[in-house]
Amino acid sequence: MKVERGKISGSQLMALLVLTRLVPVTIEFPSVTGINPPQDAWVSSLGATLLSIPVILLMAHLSLKYSDKTIIEYSQLLLGNFFGKIVGFVLVWYWLSVAATMLRSVGDAYTTAIMPETPILAFIITMALLGANAARSGLEVVGRLGEVNMLVVILFVLLTLSLPYKVMSFENLLPVLARGIKPIMLPMGTAISFFVEFIILGMVVPCLNDTGALIRSSLGAVAISGAVMTAFTVVLIAVFGPTLSSLMLPAFSLARMISIGEFLERLEVIPMGAWTITVAITLAFFFWASAVGMAQLFGLRRFQSLVYPLAAISVAFSILFFESFLDLELYFNEVWVAYSLSVTLGITIILYVAALVRGRSSASGKVTRLCRRNR
Amino acid sequence: MLRSLPRLLGKICSVSKPGGTKNDSVGKPLSKSCPMPKKVKVKEAFIRQAFGNSSDLVVRELHVGPGGKFTVLMVYLDGLVDKAIISENMIERISDRADRCRTPGQAYDDLKNRIIAVSDVKETGNLYDFLNYVARGYCGLVMDDVPKALVADTRGWAQRNIEEPTTEATIRGAKEGFVETLRTNTALLRRRVKHPRLRIEEYDIGTISKTSVAVAYISGLADEKVVQEVRNRLGRINVDSIQESGQVEELIEDAPFSPFPTILRTERPDKVAGALFEGRIAILTDGTPFVLIVPVTLTMFLTTPEDYFERTFIGSALRAIRYLAFFTSLTLPSLYVAVTTFHQEMLPTPLVLNIASQREGVPFPAVVEALLMEVLFEILREAGVRLPKIVGPAVSIIGALVIGEAAMRAGLVSPIMVVVVATTGIASFATPVFSLAIGARLLRFIMLLLAGSLGFFGIVAGLFGLAIHLTSLRSFGVPFMEPIAPILVSEFKDLLARVPWWAMHTRPALVGHEDLVRQGRDQKPGAPDSPSRRLADKKQI
Repeated sequence: MKVERGKISGSQLMALLVLTRLVPVTIEFPSVTGINPPQDAWVSSLGATLLSIPVILLMAHLSLKYSDKTIIEYSQLLLGNFFGKIVGFVLVWYWLSVAATMLRSVGDAYTTAIMPETPILAFIITMALLGANAARSGLEVVGRLGEVNMLVVILFVLLTLSLPYKVMSFENLLPVLARGIKPIMLPMGTAISFFVEFIILGMVVPCLNDTGALIRSSLGAVAISGAVMTAFTVVLIAVFGPTLSSLMLPAFSLARMISIGEFLERLEVIPMGAWTITVAITLAFFFWASAVGMAQLFGLRRFQSLVYPLAAISVAFSILFFESFLDLELYFNEVWVAYSLSVTLGITIILYVAALVRGRSSASGKVTRLCRRNR
Repeated sequence: MLRSLPRLLGKICSVSKPGGTKNDSVGKPLSKSCPMPKKVKVKEAFIRQAFGNSSDLVVRELHVGPGGKFTVLMVYLDGLVDKAIISENMIERISDRADRCRTPGQAYDDLKNRIIAVSDVKETGNLYDFLNYVARGYCGLVMDDVPKALVADTRGWAQRNIEEPTTEATIRGAKEGFVETLRTNTALLRRRVKHPRLRIEEYDIGTISKTSVAVAYISGLADEKVVQEVRNRLGRINVDSIQESGQVEELIEDAPFSPFPTILRTERPDKVAGALFEGRIAILTDGTPFVLIVPVTLTMFLTTPEDYFERTFIGSALRAIRYLAFFTSLTLPSLYVAVTTFHQEMLPTPLVLNIASQREGVPFPAVVEALLMEVLFEILREAGVRLPKIVGPAVSIIGALVIGEAAMRAGLVSPIMVVVVATTGIASFATPVFSLAIGARLLRFIMLLLAGSLGFFGIVAGLFGLAIHLTSLRSFGVPFMEPIAPILVSEFKDLLARVPWWAMHTRPALVGHEDLVRQGRDQKPGAPDSPSRRLADKKQI
């Protein structure tokens, strides 16, 4: 019984993964680095990208072992019904909480920077509706939207990064690592903790029309989003220098610097448009994953009816979890790293070990056969 | 026999029987439940009762055989038949030649095989069929003592001449458009596709109206599965009447509640022929010049035949302008409202001051002003379509001068808003297909409300919601947004730019995959000694 019948291609998966990374990269990450002086932030971006590659390879490898099952299904296969379901619930919770933080951060960004008088719920509910609407149409639609819009968003990002070329001074980047590697450790952890959201791969693999593309597209996604993140940090440092750490939303501040021929000025709408698209698709992806996961946990035949309730729950979370934008920043600085890393890495490692153990012991022939076939 | 008349008539004339009408709707004749009675008087009584006292029913009695022994009844509907054929090829010949036969059976055979000089003569033993043929313009012949009847194709009625299509004008391209007669329309297609592989399948849809609906496709190019799907969807239609292809469209489309049409309609034979060559399927309906094309994509709605007939750069430029116009007609008023209400900082200061000074004294917020003008424009447009041609210019003068100018003077709207609304209106007329233009017009109001409440965020959210909807649409199995979502690089040849014909090697991949290659790669022209020509000539030798 398949809950999701749609198929997506490798490049669509890559687009989706890149988009899920762009929101943290451009809204959340720069504001939470907290590096002082900020000139080494790009080193931490680069380092985080490189360090997250093995983690993601591990996740991809695990999913490939059970390429016809979602992570919700094979965790029950590996850990037994009870513990497997617990893992499944934790994952659904994790995706919902990621969606909630994303809703909150984009809502806060908009109320802070563009329309301070509009209540934050107007943004949050609109975004959640968009995401849920797309998720209801299935992964196929989400993938196709992602594929096209990634190109649009990357174009927007490149525009934002290149247009303020007049005010960039790359001397701001020097000296590199003046205080050693220690101050960038925590920011690096934060960056990695965003990358591990890729555990959503476990839901997508059965829907890939070519499972061989999994490794290629997830590594491609890491490369693209890592490059964007590093370029973004470099440009921010070049434009703002040491004042960077005091900016709440550097992307907006960057877009304000744009002025084309004294006709188009203060193009905050560029990052805003890009964020709206990105967040909506990312939300759709996470809502889809949690709805499908939920449907599989309870043995439902359709996931569509779960999407709107789950979206409503994450809207409620986004309001209840945080009191203010500062609260959100605090969460990212102090809670998020430990939470995200322990959930995703913990589950991946537990499942991987279980798969190895089960694969070796001949007692569970079913799993062994599965492993062999997929190898 | 005569006593069973009411019961039999009940069988013939009951058209809304749920069980009996199912077969009927796909064009198969009813079962042999109404056999032909033997006596000619009974037959006449049946026929006259079936049509009631219709004044256009003509029943002419002729006498054939030695001494006029046998009676032949000639039945037709006046106005549906060609009187010249009736009198010259039937009446004249029957009364001249049909006096040698001895038995009614012989007379019947003589009539069928030798005497009636009409190209298509059919035989039927079923009264129900017989009546249906007569209702369609055939001339029916019944005889005493023969339980069969002859129907001769004498159809001929007044029809509109083939004219230039009024709703889809082009500068370059064929000037002929479809008319209301199905047969003429299929002929127009045949003249453009002179190959036996062009298949035309006809069905009768509508239990009372019995409208002929034809499915045309090129066998070997169109996907047989899609053709079957079209047949299935047409087959499950069970309504009493079809008057226009729009009704067929609504009964077979994929997304009945979408503001966007997922079936393309056109009255240009060249457009339909072009679609057939790509492997698409046309659905022609009798009684309307509008022909449906499936499966289609959104980009096809923004395409005109001219794009393909003009030189490639011109064609591509025209298409780019049309895309821009479509986008403008969808978003320009909402962009204006968003910028002036929420994001004044985006504009250069002089322009902002200019707008502000113009808007001074306007009592409404920009969004109300825009809605007011848009509604006014829509009313004017609708009135312009409905009005007789003589009054039309008067309305445009009133609309343009009195309302536009006076509303500005009265301080109800700002001049720049008039500019915005007028631009939007003109842009919406640049959309070649009316049904898509209407969709965009309706969505424009939603976009306006979103922009008025949430600014740019509202516009982006609205556009993205639209993108979600469009991406989830399908037209007979083909993604509606192809080749944009999913991205199909091979189809970019016909998206924004239209590549030259010599480079259009393949048909659209998702539609014409049965026979993908359209032409060879050696079609690039050039002077006699240019490399491409040399290559092509070498291949030909």
